[in-house]
Amino acid sequence: MLEIKNLKASINNKEILKGVDISIQPGELHAIMGPNGSGKSTLANVLSGKDGYEVSGELKYQGKDLINIPIDERAQKGIFLAFQYPTEIPGVNTNNFLKTSLNKIKKARGEKEMDTLSFIKMIKEKSNELGMNENMLSRQLNVGFSGGEKKKNEILQMKILNPNLAILDETDSGLDIDALKTVAKGVNSTRDKNKSFLVITHYQRLLNYIKPDFVHVLADGKIIKSGSMELAEQLEKTGYKGIN
Amino acid sequence: MLDFKPNEKEIEKIGKFSIEEKNFRIENLKNFNSVGFPNKLVEDWKFSDLRHIVSKNFAKLDLKLKPSKEENFDFIKDFEHNYIVLVNGRLTSNSFQHEDNSQIVINPYLNKDFSNKKEKNPLINLNYALSIEGFNLEVKDNYKFNKVLVIYNLFTKDLNENILNSQNRIKIGKNSELHVFDYVINKSEKNFFNNVYEDLYLAESSVFKNISIQKNRSNGFFHKFSKNILSSKSNYSSFIFPLGLKFDKLDLEFNLEGENIECNLQAASFLNKGDHQEIKTRVNHLAPNCKSYQKVKNVIDLDSKGVYQGKIFVKNIAQKTDAYQLSKAILLDESSEFDSKPELEIYADDVKCSHGSTSGSVEKDSIYYLMTRGLSKNESVKLLINGFLSEIIVSIKSKTMKNFIEQKLLSQIYEH
Repeated sequence: MLEIKNLKASINNKEILKGVDISIQPGELHAIMGPNGSGKSTLANVLSGKDGYEVSGELKYQGKDLINIPIDERAQKGIFLAFQYPTEIPGVNTNNFLKTSLNKIKKARGEKEMDTLSFIKMIKEKSNELGMNENMLSRQLNVGFSGGEKKKNEILQMKILNPNLAILDETDSGLDIDALKTVAKGVNSTRDKNKSFLVITHYQRLLNYIKPDFVHVLADGKIIKSGSMELAEQLEKTGYKGIN
Repeated sequence: MLDFKPNEKEIEKIGKFSIEEKNFRIENLKNFNSVGFPNKLVEDWKFSDLRHIVSKNFAKLDLKLKPSKEENFDFIKDFEHNYIVLVNGRLTSNSFQHEDNSQIVINPYLNKDFSNKKEKNPLINLNYALSIEGFNLEVKDNYKFNKVLVIYNLFTKDLNENILNSQNRIKIGKNSELHVFDYVINKSEKNFFNNVYEDLYLAESSVFKNISIQKNRSNGFFHKFSKNILSSKSNYSSFIFPLGLKFDKLDLEFNLEGENIECNLQAASFLNKGDHQEIKTRVNHLAPNCKSYQKVKNVIDLDSKGVYQGKIFVKNIAQKTDAYQLSKAILLDESSEFDSKPELEIYADDVKCSHGSTSGSVEKDSIYYLMTRGLSKNESVKLLINGFLSEIIVSIKSKTMKNFIEQKLLSQIYEH
């Protein structure tokens, strides 16, 4: 699904990623943990195609080079990024935006666009699964949403857009335990043998609910250790300092 | 270079006037001719050099004396309404089929106050000198309109470097209410200049709501001076969507003469292809306990310019005034420009007055967010522009009006 080899990325001449290697197969869920400033969010940004980074190395998605593909095309090809800090967009109605986005992606995939009635039915169902108040979706996109609501809205978008590869950038941060469980349930319900996930987190807490196949530790722009769920448990006990 | 200084003889061609009126017109013409179209050296015109704009776009400016026929146009079908039709500024027909006609006076109008004064704005002198009849609308006391009144402002195909001057007056009686939808339909393919003087009088506890919008892009160069007198407990609100005019200056003066008045003005524009638009407001708080609010939002594209000059004046007795003014602009191109000049002049000590002005480009983070959801950069920018401007539309209470305006605004944004 995703092959990352010796991926380097700098911004304003400062190197943040210093050679990252990860290989994600269809159906796998990988977790990336790491201390503040280790480059976790940069990795998420670079995978989504955000402007402003000097990127080198190999980045292949479904066997094809991704580095020069623009952000929107990556999304259309099935890459989804759940933001750590979802952007507030005043004046843009959440429902209208979700429908525009879904139909744009469907169109790019050669699928039939969804009509308003089916869309409303689907969004009602999926927002209920996440315990979201439907009224929220007639509000402006992320404007005045609480931290938890914003994160749930990201997971809702993931469920609607149905990506092949979902990157979750600290989706657990700022969530209370109930919201965390709901979000984890949301993720688990979309897992299947064809879909892959890259979950970026600070804490093992989320991984108790979303069981990863692999755990990687990112420190100072490099993966310094990879392993299974036990690695996350070890980190929780010893901290990042105990890794080396 | 066009030096527009009409001869006194032009006045005789407009119509037959009493000696008093003729002298009044001549005096006003002299006042205009002594300064001509204002240039940027005049403070009120520093961002809109009208002399330059006129000489760049017009080889001549003829008075349009022969009335044009009412051309066919599509009436709005989206909502039931009463209407007035103005053809090149002249009242040609009206219908108040949803109302009690005994409560309404409608007739052609010309100013009959000939006390001469040199106006600070020379376009007003020009209007006094050369004006043809517009309309006079009076709503008697205690009458609330059942349906909105649409004012169809039709500009005809035969206009060709003409200058139109007209005057209108609206008077709303005590406890009465009128909602107006000002709709400009432009069939002219040639440049023309439209110079309007408007008086609005709101009696005690009356309500006036107004929405202004153009049906289509046009070659119109518009100037309107509007003097609004608001009596105690009256409520004024206006939403202006001045889209697609080559030049547009709205000079609006509000005199809040009684207590507990609310005066609310909001404008949203998408300016492109060299559009130049200025809104100038002067809100005079002359009595205590009044609220005024102005909010102007512009999105400015290629070679276009938006201007907002807003002054709030608070007289010493106007305690407990609550006045707020805000202008926001998004600039889409290096060639686009936004100028803002907020002014507060306050002589009372117990007031809440503030103003704010921001301008910048579309938020990069917002574009990024939308693009990660599959929208192209262009689509993301359009969605954001739409979102920025719709904040004004959202405050319109009537759902049909809201949809109508939204469609117009969207088509402007998505056309470009």
